[in-house]
Amino acid sequence: MSTTTESVAFDTRAREKAADTFGMWVFICSEAMLFGAVLLLFFFARSSYGPAFAAASQHLSLPLGTLNTAVLLTSSFAIALAHMFTASRRWRPAVWALICTGLLGTIFLFIKAMEYASEFKEGLAPVLGAPFRFSGPDPTHAELFFAFYFAMTSLHALHLICGIVVIAGMLLLWPGTTEAKRTHRVQAVGLYWHFVDIVWVFLFPVLYLINRA
Amino acid sequence: MNALRKLTFGYFALLILLALTVGSSLLDLGGFNSSVNLAIAAAKAVVIALLFMHLAGGGILPRLAVAAAGLWLAILFGLTVIGR
Repeated sequence: MSTTTESVAFDTRAREKAADTFGMWVFICSEAMLFGAVLLLFFFARSSYGPAFAAASQHLSLPLGTLNTAVLLTSSFAIALAHMFTASRRWRPAVWALICTGLLGTIFLFIKAMEYASEFKEGLAPVLGAPFRFSGPDPTHAELFFAFYFAMTSLHALHLICGIVVIAGMLLLWPGTTEAKRTHRVQAVGLYWHFVDIVWVFLFPVLYLINRA
Repeated sequence: MNALRKLTFGYFALLILLALTVGSSLLDLGGFNSSVNLAIAAAKAVVIALLFMHLAGGGILPRLAVAAAGLWLAILFGLTVIGR
């Protein structure tokens, strides 16, 4: 039985898979603690400076934020398909699904970069020493909102970039990788990708949808 | 085919929830907009976790990890709100 496992630490493939999956979930949960703490800080600030945060949030692009959410949800669907195809050893569709996932992740980053560029242009980016200009009420706390916005979305984008790099590396190594390892890796990166998607699912309403009515 | 149907159902459910969250944010719900948005986000997270991440059928260990994270986040949020 040990020949079917990748590590000598496990007797059976099933135990190795259970350990791998558990390890990945523990990692994801530790990441959830990181994003949870940042969200808590944001909620705390928002409850203190609600009107300033609502006024600042109106300056974010709702169409681009919505489009980006749809793009990321589609990428999650694509990598879920990749996992399904690898489970049934259909390698070619699995590769295409992984390519689609990476491309959709790149499109997300491109749209986000467009948003950042527009916010820098409007003087709404209090980062990297750029001047902050806000015509609405309470510019001091509007600046705090945008500081949170850039911190949270760039932390999320950093995670997405890591996911894209891992998918690209996995695809480069794909021809020389054993079938067991392919399934293994697609499952692990899939769990990570879905988690990054879940983070955005919370960031989108929290940042973009404050008092839109 | 069954797996494909499940994933497709999950994907369309997510898109419908996205439309709902954007649509509801444009309506005046008398101070409940944020709660509705967060509830829809939680529903999306559940769809992703159950249908895409196979949390329901992956054995007890992943669920244990999620429960532990949930507990610690509840302590973090709970104590902060209480201490305010």
